[in-house]
Order: sequence, then structure tokens, then C-alpha cells
Amino acid sequence: MLWLYLHFPHLLLDHIRRNREDSRPLVIVEGSGQRVIQACPDARDQGVRAGMRLKTAINLVPELGMVRAQPEQEAQILEDQARWLYRYAAHIVLEPPDGLLAEIGSLQKLYGGLPAVWQTVEQALNEHRLTAWIAIGHTPLAARLIARAGKGECTADKGHILRALETMPLVAAEFDGKTCTRLQRLGLNTLGEVFALPATELARRLSPETLARIQKIQGTRSDPQTPWQPPHSFRQQADFIQEIEHTQGLLFPLQRMLSELEDDLCWRQQDTDSLHLILRHRHEEDTRLRIQTSGPEHRAEAFLNLIRLRLEQQPLRAPVVALVLSVKRFLGREAPTGQDLLGESQDLNEAWHTLMSRLQARLGEQSLKRLSPRADHRPERAWSASEVQQKHKTRLAAPEHLPRRPLWLLQGPQPLTEPPAAWFAGPERISGGWWDGQRVHRDYYIAQLQSGQLAWVFRDVREGWFIHGWFG
Amino acid sequence: MAGSGNAMSGYAELFCFSNFTFLTGASHPHELAERAAELGYTALAITDACSVAGIPRAWAALKESPVKLITGSWFELEDAPAGAAIPRFILLARTRKGYGQLCRLITTGRRRAEKGRYQLFFRDVETHELDDCLCLWLPPAIPDADADQALACGEWLCRLFDLRFWIGAARPLESGEEQQLARIRWLADQLRCPITACGEVHMHSRERQPLQDVLTSLRHHTTLESAGHCLFQNGERYLRPLPVLQRLFPETWLQQTLRIAEACTFEPGSLRYEYPPDLVPVDETPAGYLKRLTREGERRRYPEGTPLQVQGLIRKELELISEMKYEHYFLTIHDIVAFARSQGILCQGRGSAANSAVCYCLGITEVNPANVELLFERFISRDRNEPPDIDVDFEHERREEVIQYIYRRYTRERAALAATVIRYRPRSAIRDVGKALGFDPALVEQLLDGIDWRDKATNWRQQILDKNLTRNPKVADQFFTLVNTLLGFPRHLSQHVGGFVISAGPLAELVPVENAAMADRTVIQWDKDDLESLGLMKVDVLALGMLSAIRKALELISDQKGESFHIQDVPQEDPATYAMLQKGDSIGVFQVESRAQINMLPRLKPETYYDLVIEVAIVRPGPIQGDMVHPYLRRKHGLEPVDYPNDAVRRVLERTLGVPIFQEQVIKLAMVAAGFSAGEADQLRRAMAAWKSHGDLTPFREKLVTGMLERGHDADFAERLYQQICGFGGYGFPESHAASFALLVYVSAWIKRHYPAAFYCALLNSQPMGFYSPSQLVQDARRHNVTVLPPDVNHSHWNHTLESPDRHLRLGLRIIQGLSAGGADRIHQNRPTNGYRSAAELRRQAGLNQRDMELLAGANAMPGFTANRHQAYWQLLDHEQPTELFAAEDPDDYQPDHCNQLPEPTEGQNVVADYASQGLTLQRHPLALLRQQGHLRFCLTSEQLKTTKAGIPVQVAGLVTGRQRPGSASGVTFVTLEDETGNVNVVVWLETARRQRKPLLTARLLHVKGVLEREGDIVHVMAGKLSDLSHLINSLPVSSRDFH
Repeated sequence: MLWLYLHFPHLLLDHIRRNREDSRPLVIVEGSGQRVIQACPDARDQGVRAGMRLKTAINLVPELGMVRAQPEQEAQILEDQARWLYRYAAHIVLEPPDGLLAEIGSLQKLYGGLPAVWQTVEQALNEHRLTAWIAIGHTPLAARLIARAGKGECTADKGHILRALETMPLVAAEFDGKTCTRLQRLGLNTLGEVFALPATELARRLSPETLARIQKIQGTRSDPQTPWQPPHSFRQQADFIQEIEHTQGLLFPLQRMLSELEDDLCWRQQDTDSLHLILRHRHEEDTRLRIQTSGPEHRAEAFLNLIRLRLEQQPLRAPVVALVLSVKRFLGREAPTGQDLLGESQDLNEAWHTLMSRLQARLGEQSLKRLSPRADHRPERAWSASEVQQKHKTRLAAPEHLPRRPLWLLQGPQPLTEPPAAWFAGPERISGGWWDGQRVHRDYYIAQLQSGQLAWVFRDVREGWFIHGWFG
Repeated sequence: MAGSGNAMSGYAELFCFSNFTFLTGASHPHELAERAAELGYTALAITDACSVAGIPRAWAALKESPVKLITGSWFELEDAPAGAAIPRFILLARTRKGYGQLCRLITTGRRRAEKGRYQLFFRDVETHELDDCLCLWLPPAIPDADADQALACGEWLCRLFDLRFWIGAARPLESGEEQQLARIRWLADQLRCPITACGEVHMHSRERQPLQDVLTSLRHHTTLESAGHCLFQNGERYLRPLPVLQRLFPETWLQQTLRIAEACTFEPGSLRYEYPPDLVPVDETPAGYLKRLTREGERRRYPEGTPLQVQGLIRKELELISEMKYEHYFLTIHDIVAFARSQGILCQGRGSAANSAVCYCLGITEVNPANVELLFERFISRDRNEPPDIDVDFEHERREEVIQYIYRRYTRERAALAATVIRYRPRSAIRDVGKALGFDPALVEQLLDGIDWRDKATNWRQQILDKNLTRNPKVADQFFTLVNTLLGFPRHLSQHVGGFVISAGPLAELVPVENAAMADRTVIQWDKDDLESLGLMKVDVLALGMLSAIRKALELISDQKGESFHIQDVPQEDPATYAMLQKGDSIGVFQVESRAQINMLPRLKPETYYDLVIEVAIVRPGPIQGDMVHPYLRRKHGLEPVDYPNDAVRRVLERTLGVPIFQEQVIKLAMVAAGFSAGEADQLRRAMAAWKSHGDLTPFREKLVTGMLERGHDADFAERLYQQICGFGGYGFPESHAASFALLVYVSAWIKRHYPAAFYCALLNSQPMGFYSPSQLVQDARRHNVTVLPPDVNHSHWNHTLESPDRHLRLGLRIIQGLSAGGADRIHQNRPTNGYRSAAELRRQAGLNQRDMELLAGANAMPGFTANRHQAYWQLLDHEQPTELFAAEDPDDYQPDHCNQLPEPTEGQNVVADYASQGLTLQRHPLALLRQQGHLRFCLTSEQLKTTKAGIPVQVAGLVTGRQRPGSASGVTFVTLEDETGNVNVVVWLETARRQRKPLLTARLLHVKGVLEREGDIVHVMAGKLSDLSHLINSLPVSSRDFH
């Protein structure tokens, strides 16, 4: 067996940069925003290092751009890379957070020799605009260590590989911290010097695990690897350093994502008829779009046209910080699937899904909403007509704690034109919402109008009187 | 429901949270107090949640006002009697006794819970005596409890408080209020008790609503956006004007507030400090006893008879102490100091009253009044009724013994630490407001890092917009306002560094006591300003590393001399000691070892004790910002005439040649030169002390400058004096402290000059302390011809020692980082007469675990029986059988177990390994190695720089041991480079720093091309080009080890 290892020295950075042209030096910072995790080459040139405090980094590069890392996102991105690599090699192993391992011994014949395999991978990396250090090893660990040291060469010669390993500094050999310290304390500096020690002594004086690791590197002990299985859905995410304010700005990253989708569908030999698009905003809730095609489809261009049309109809609510494209429904290419409403074979979820998509298709997606309460003191913001599959973020008080409100709240307050016949309750003062520019400052009363109707009326700061709703 | 419209006589607010109910109240106690006075309230109760922490500040604000302050507290219990709703109520202190009862209950609740929380159960309320407290019940909201549960709760409280029970009714104008009021009326009917109005106040003015919302969001760990119903519906919980109250409440409910206020007669000002009587023997008066102790001390201090002048001083001081009734205070401190003496713990008093003749006789200070002309009267003020202030420093490693003594002597019932109020500073305020507004934390961090905190003119608003935190300029404005308002808000109570409050009766009846973060520590709810404003006394028990070092050095000297040698035996005014200090040779010496001090010493050239007093005080922001340093130096060296505008000024400034240096002088000057009254001067002093957190000095500027101009002083001097006052703000350094510190400067310098080995040994044994790392101290020791020997299992103790007969400094095993103290002790205890002969024997005899053995090998501490550290380590790793302590000797033990594959350590490897294990090396300095290898061809050493002409271009290189951007030097960065001969001072101007950020900020080994500058013996390199040579340290065989 022969192994190819791909080490992505700044995967998150590549992921972000390929979605947006930005020449600023860029770093990824950890969740709490205190430390740099990855730095782009530009930033590194100016002295920024991984592990550095953000404060120092900004002192070095005042115009530094930065993005906060989310661990689950990193895993996701690595898996994205596995997906395209899977097209070339069947036996792939994920090495989180930043490595992929592929068995390539069996590929040599297929591609016509090792250089061809190497070239194919390099070309694919180029197409995906990714930086990776690649290396070949006769064992998974050998490939990994050489790749991470950036010393990969296109050779399958075991002697050559071993020599590369032997000159490697001890710290690069990824022993656990304690073992590494011990080996250093023995005055050993290179992996070769460790190889030279008698095996029995090593196991006795260090640990059997240390010996096992050395043997796995050298190939005298087996190191089985469980192959990765590609997931059954498609998902791609693009994150932006600078918020995107216009639809136009979304099309560029979408183009790339959709062409990856096309590749994916081709490789699956399947089509789809619905795409899910999530636009993430900094402060507002996500915008969720479902794009329906008229029939099974796989062409990126067709998808892009549909999305463009959709985005033109519906301007962005807020600037976009990230974009997620996912496909969960795959349709076989050969035969159209039967879809009879509430058919025996479909479970209730599927029926709900079908009903929704039919209603949406018939009435237009905008027309279908679900009413739900929101935790806000301002009456006009105390409810929302949200999209059907959305969850709530605000904490809602128990129903008995909710204030007394009319069932019929008017679309907007209307001037009260007559003095009411009777007053029932009030004032109830509502003042709040200063933080989002929708400040409200009103005194509400329940009053009976001359007509006998029970109205919810208020007086605002400008001393004007308005009707805001009707009680039954 | 509307008010009757009759003129009403007033209103007392009985339910009011201040910001000492953390993350709830949105106004300072004094803001509430001032607003209540403006509105014409009759009385105001501050009722924080299980706390009276806000009381002293409210009281200080209302002292001169007709508004009565009522002391109270709000409680929410953890449980309730069967069938009853959870009780929420307010207790108000009716009398001093009631106040004590309130404090007791608070203490119970606070002591039971972890720091910052409280826990009270209904049984507590039943078992605590509360017969002198009034109770205001706040019935539960309708959705929270049904009528029966509410009534059961009311019945329980009503039974306990009987005629001292009211139901509180608030009108926050929220939904469902009519029903709530109806229920309150029904409850009052059922319980036959009166209803009183209350405001449920959370802020002094409606404008604080945004901040209150922010605090609420933070309390619920959420953002404003998603806080939803956690927020109040409106901003009605403020101090309402009387006409509004009349509209909202029935007249009778308002009248009840006045009845309650009238019943509460307790006033915080009536809290008198009652001294612990324990200290005075039964048959003596405090004054007589103090006099007797002073006499005894006098005979000890002046065996040949007290000088006349000192006799007079003592008489005057005792009179003053008697008059002010401060005997107990002096006796308390004397008692603590006497305990420390009896235990051989070195201590030294400082502060306003410490340097008096009485304190000298009582042994509280070593500053001899015969030598220094210090007037006690200056330190205790007859006019300001303010307690004397004595801080006592103890050896830092043994202060705990003193603290435990105080707890033993007075019991925990009667002694506790004062609190320190931790307040919002700009960083924390920006972080928290950002959090509430939902800003991205990473961007907020970036904003924080981008702000230059020293630059007061920084336009935050612009920066916030620039950083894209928000696009909405309105939000930026709000952010700015919120941050500014939140600044100075208390966040939590922490423990004071060492201020003890000791009382005669149970402390918990004087002020509530709560838990501190540290186990077994309790703090009271007031901080030192609160204590001061109420006239309560505290004793400061502080820790000082240098005292530990001096005591240890004195022991070593005694050992060497064969007779005991005390601090009093140090000869005074030793010329050799001053000569050393004048050269700036002061590493390790107390207070004058910083870089700035080392540079000042050769300029000031101290020749006497009083020069040291000035030396200690002059390198501080006050004199530097006031530009007083150069005038003083010119006058000291006779380059400028010493003159005084008039005699009054002369009296103030004569000791310092007409240049104000000390804080006391500045305040005195404000009086004699600018016409401040004693009261105004006192305000100035307080403003200076508070300046760092929230004080404002600008109001004094006008008065100072005009006052001085009117009296014929020139404008420039006045302006400089004002700048100096600003500089003192927060860092005030009074002469009384400098005088005590200078004594320790002298003693430590004397030891360094005459007993260098003992000096460094003691310093190293007192680590961590001081400015310098052990590595720097060891290098300095070797430059002073002290022979330093490496740690060795066959010679070392845990501590560093001086080895006879040559008094060589043998490093102790404590220098090995991570080694267990127990293991090290056993190595020493169980050592065979002829030393250990093998690693196995060592392991067996000393019962060492593998970790300790490996650390010893890494430190190369077994040179007696191992070839080198690599081989030593190889031997240790063979540990198949667990070694038993008393296992039989195995002949194999003494067979060398050599491994030929292992390389000999190179010198470089040894150096790096030494640093890794001990943080220092006794081999050659890394720079010496690099120089030998030819890497630093054109670089001069620190030693060579001393003899190099000023003004010529030079190159230097060294390990970066310090980067400093002091606030008082505009934009300059000072870099300290260490080479094999000493330290090089590099000065980097702002422009140079900007262009070469990378090497400046990241290099561990820095190369500098620059120009040599010299002022007397002080040498600097003005940096031009900086280059990072860190890769050379990496090229030492093993990479990735850091030199610190």
C-alpha cells in the first residue's frame, strides 16, 4: 500500500478567501477572540503567528482582517474536501482538523504512474483554490509526518522516504508531549536518532506505545485505517469576511458552490428538485430560501438562473455573513418518482413536506406564513409571521405571564377620531426598543367607542391618540 | 384612584435598589440620594438585595441634606412555609439595634452562600431576632401565586412582625396592574394591615432605562434583542416627582410612607467605632497604658537617655493621641507588631501616623525621629476628624501567621477584612455593553486592542464605526453613552489587600460580613472609603517581599558573624553603601531597582537617608508629570539657586529645596499658595485618591491657578503644580510612606554592598518578588564576585544556601522547576554522610517518584554519579520494578548503565536544558556562545558600551528581557537586552517602533543598530534599525524552547 497525505496549513483561510477577493492580510481567531489560530502568508510575512495573542497581531498589522473560527465548521470544510478527493480515491481517511489521507497504491495503474496521480491531485487542489502540502509515504504516519513538515516528494522509494523521516526534528514527529520531552532530555534531536535506539530498550524505558508508534512510522507494524464513507447529502458553506450587501455579491460564491454541486450530482448519478439556501446575517435571523426546480435537474447554470431570479424578487433583509447551500433530496436520473399526495407509502413528514411545497408552489413562497408569538413588549413586534420551518430564538414567558392584548391588532395604529364613551383600563405604559431604533413610548387604555366597540387605544409622546386593536 | 389634590407633606421612598444590587440597580447610591433631595422627598431608603453596601455612599451624599436616609435591605427567600408563596420583602432598620439585627440576618444569608450570593430560608427569619426592624411585604404577582398562597405568605410575615408590618404597593404601569392592586387591597383587608406606597425603584431617573435594560440582559446572559420579557415593560421604576406620585397613589398610602420613615430613627452616622477593650490591663487606663509602653520603648531605643527634642515630641504626640482618643488604635497596632516580633517576623509601619516618635518607641517603625525631622502633627490632623492611618508591612511569606493571630485574638466574630469594590473599567464596560448589544465578541476584542487607553482624546465613537461593529450611528451613540454611564459601576466585592476591621462587639452587628473568594476569608460589605466616611478604623496588614528577604539575609549574616545581627545593627549613613547606589548598582535593592530608578540614582546621587526618601518618591507619575524632577536635580547639585516666594511656602518646601515632591507638600501648597481652606484641601486629597476610578480634578484647576496667580506665583508654576496633582491621582505617594520605604532601601543596599552572597541568597529564597528573575539575579551576583554553584543532590538543600567555608552560594533544589518540596526535603534529610552514590540509591533513600527523578536528571543535579544529563536520564527511565523505600540494596545499583547511542550534550544543549529546567544557566551565557561562533561580529557588549564614546553609531544584541512603554514617556518603548556582561538599555522612538513592529514585538534575540547616548554613567542606545536574530537561538541544537 502506498499513502498520500494532504495537509491543509490554513484550510479555514482558504475557504474564506476563495469566496471573496480580498487583499488584506487575514487571520482566523479562536472563538473567544483572544488568539490567532491561522494566519495567511501575508500576515505571516509581517510576523503574525498561530498562537499569538490577537492584540500583538493587531499591533503588528493594524489593517488585519479576521474571522472567528467555529470548530464544527472546520470539520465540515474538511469533509467538503474529502468529497472531491473521493472521486479520485476510494480509500480516504479524515484526519481532523486539517488533513486527508488517501490510499493511492491501487491508483498508479489507473492513472499511469505515480507522477500522474500526484499531478491530478495538485491540479484538483488548484481548481479548488486550496493550499495543501502533499507527501507520499509507505505508511500512513510516514506520509502524514512528511506532509506536515512540508517535505513531500513524488516518490514511492521506501529508502528515500525513510531518509526523509530520519532527518526530521524530533518535535515534528508528533510524539505525545511527555514522550517528546523525555526523548529531548536524552539529547536526541532527530527521528533518526530515535530509530537508532534498540527497540527493546525503547519499549522498556519509554513505553510500549512509543515503540509501537515508531514501528508504525517505519512500517514494521500494521496501522489499519478505516475508510471514510461519503454522507448522503450535499452541503457547502461560504463565509465572508466582509458582509455582502447586494445580491450581486452572492452570485460569485454561489457559482462555485453550484458547480461543486453539479460535480457531486454527476458523481452520484442523481438529480434533485429542491435546493436549500440559508443566508446568515449578523444580527437578524437567518433568511431561508427553498429553490424548487420544475423537474429533476443537475446543471449549475439552471440552478443559478433560478436563484438569481429569486434573489431579484426578494431583496436582502440584511447584509449576509455566510451562505449555506444544501441538498437533501436526490432523485434517480432514470425514472421519475411517483408522488401521490398522502399515499400509503409516504410517512407523515413526507406528506407535510409535499403539502407545503404544493401550497408554496401554488401560492408563491412569500404567501405562506405561520403565526407565532415573540418575546417583545412592543405590540407590533410581539408576534411574527415567520417562515414555516423556522425556530424561535427569543425566550417566551409562560402564557399566563403574557400581558393582556386584543385578538385583533391593526396593521398599523389608526388615529382615534372621537372621544371614547367609556374607559375601562389603563394606563399601561410601554416603553422600550431603544436598541433597534424602533423605540416605542405609549400609554395604552381599553376604551369603549361611541359605536360600542371595545378598542385598544394609546397616546404617544406627541400626545396623539390612536386605535391599535379591537377586543372581541 | 387619582390623588385628592390636597397639598401633601412629602413622600418617603422605601423600596430602592442602587447599583450595589449588581446587574439590577442602574444608579449610584449618591445619584439616588441627590435626586431624592432635588425632588423634595422626606426620606429615602436604600434597600439593596441582602446588602447594605450602598448605604455609606448614600449617607455621605445626604449628610448635609434634610432628606433622611433609611437603612434597609430587600430579601427573597429560598423557601416558604407550607402552602405559602415565596416571600419577598424589605426590612428597614428602626434603631441602632434594628440595624444590628438587619446586619445579622444579612450575614447569615451571605455567609451561607458562595461569594456574591445569599441564601435565606423562612426558618432564618423566624429564628433571627428582628423585633426592631420594620417589614414591607411585596406580595407575589397574580400569575405567580394564587390568592391562598399569597395570603398564607402574608399571614406568616404578619404574625412575625405584627404592628411592624406593611404591604408595599407599586405602580409600574404594567399590564394587569388593576388586578394586582385589587388583590393587594384584599390581602390588606384579610390581614388587617396598612398598605404603603413604594416605587420599586431601580434608577434615579427615567433616562437610565437603557442602562437598566442592558444590566438585565447581562444578568440573564443574553442580548437586548433576545431578552424579550426579561426586560421591564417600561422605565417607570425611577424616583418619581411628587405630583406624579400624588396622581398614582391614594393619599393614605403616601401618608404611610411618612409614618414608616418617622419610625425609622437609625442613622449610619451614629455608628461609633467601639474599640476592642482586650488590650488594656484591667487596672490601667488606655492613655496610661500607652504612656507606659512608650516609656518602656524609650528606654530600649535610647539607652543613653532620650534626646530632649524627642522627649518633647513624645509629649506632644501623646497629648494629641489622648485628645483624639486614638489610644486604642495605637495599642491595637502595637499588639499586632509585638506578636510579629515575638515570632521573629520582620515588619515595618508606614503611613500618616507611623513615623512618629511614639511609633518608634512602640517598635512600629524603625524610622528614628532623632534622625529625620518628621512632624507628627502633619500626619494626624486635628481639624479633620479622620482616623490616623498606619499600614504595617510584614514578610510576605509569613503574613498569614499574623492574619491568623488576629483571627485568634479577636475571633472571626469580631475581625474581618475590608472589601474592595471592583468597578467597571473601560475594558469591562465596553465588553459588557457590546455583549448586550449583540456585537461580535471578536470585533469587540479588536476594538479594545485598538484603543490607545493613554490617549484620552481617542474618539471611541469613530473607532466603533470604523471597526464595523455597527453601521448605525445611532447605535454607536448609544453604545458610547451606555459605556460612559456604566463606567465606575460596582461589579462585585472583593477582599482588600489587608485592611482589617476589628470591633468590640460582634462585627456582624456593625456591618454585614460575607464570604470572599478565598476559602476561610470573610469580608465586610464596606470598602476603605466607606469606612473612612463613617469614621471607622481599619488596620492594614500588608505583605512585602523585601522584608522576607531582609530577614533571611540578616539570619545569614548572623550565621557568618556567629552572633545575632538585627536591622538595628546596620550602621547608619555608610558612605560605601551610598557610593554603590550612586553608580546605579541597585539590582535587587528595594524600590530603586527598576530601570527608571537605576537611571535616576546616578543623577540624584543620594548621600543621606533623606535623599533616599526623595529618590523613592521622585520617580513617580506625580513629580514627573509636574516636571519637578529636573528643577530638583539642578538645585540639589547647586546649578540653580534655591529660593522661596515667601515664608509660608518656604516652610512647606524647604526640605525639598523649594520643589514640591510629595503629595502632602502639594496639598499644603494648595493651602498656602492658592488659598485653599482646610476643607477644600481635604476635598482635593479625596479627589486625588478617587481620580483613577471616577474622580474629576478639573474643578480644582481653576481655583488652584487663580489662587496662585492672585498670590503672585507665576502661571507656569501653577500649571505644573496642577499637572503634578493629576499625576498623583491614583498613585499618590506621600512622604510618610517614602520615609518608611527609604529605610528598607538603605538596609537592603547596605546588605548588598557588604554581604553580597547573603543578599542574593536571601533574595533568591524569597522569590517570587521584585523586578528581576532568578536568572538576572544570579548573573548580577556573579558580576559581584559571588561564586554560584549548581544544584546538586549531594550538596543542596531545598533553599539556596551559603556553603562554608568560602560562603559560596549553592543553588537549592527549589530552583528546579516542578520539583516537589517534600522530595527535595527528603533528599536533604536522608542523605548518607558521604553522599548518594547512584541514582537507584537516591531514589530508594529519598523515596522519590519518577517525576522528581526525571526533573533532577533534567537539571543535571546528580553530577556525582552520572556522566551527563542524557545518561542520567537514560538510567532513570529504567524503572521496571516499583522501588520500595526500604528495599534491599542491589549490587547492580552501582553498575553504570551506559548507552552508547546517546550523544554527549554539547555546551549549547546544556545551556538550553538548564534554562528549561531552572530558568537560568551557570554555564556560559547564550550570547557568549553566539559571539564565539561569530554571529555577532560587530556587536559591542554591555560592558564595552560603558567605555564607548557617546554619539557614535554602535551595534548591540541581546536576549529581550523587557519591553516597556511607560505612561509618562510619550510613545517611547524601552527595551532591555541581556548579554553575557549585563544589560543594555535600548530606547525606541515611536516612529522607529511603528516602522519595525515585527522585530520589536516578536524578537527573543534582538540586534540593534543605533547611536550611543550617555548622560554621566547612564548609557542608552537610541535604536535605528532593529533585526530579529531569534533564529540563532533556534539554531542552538534543540529548537522551540523559549528563553524568557
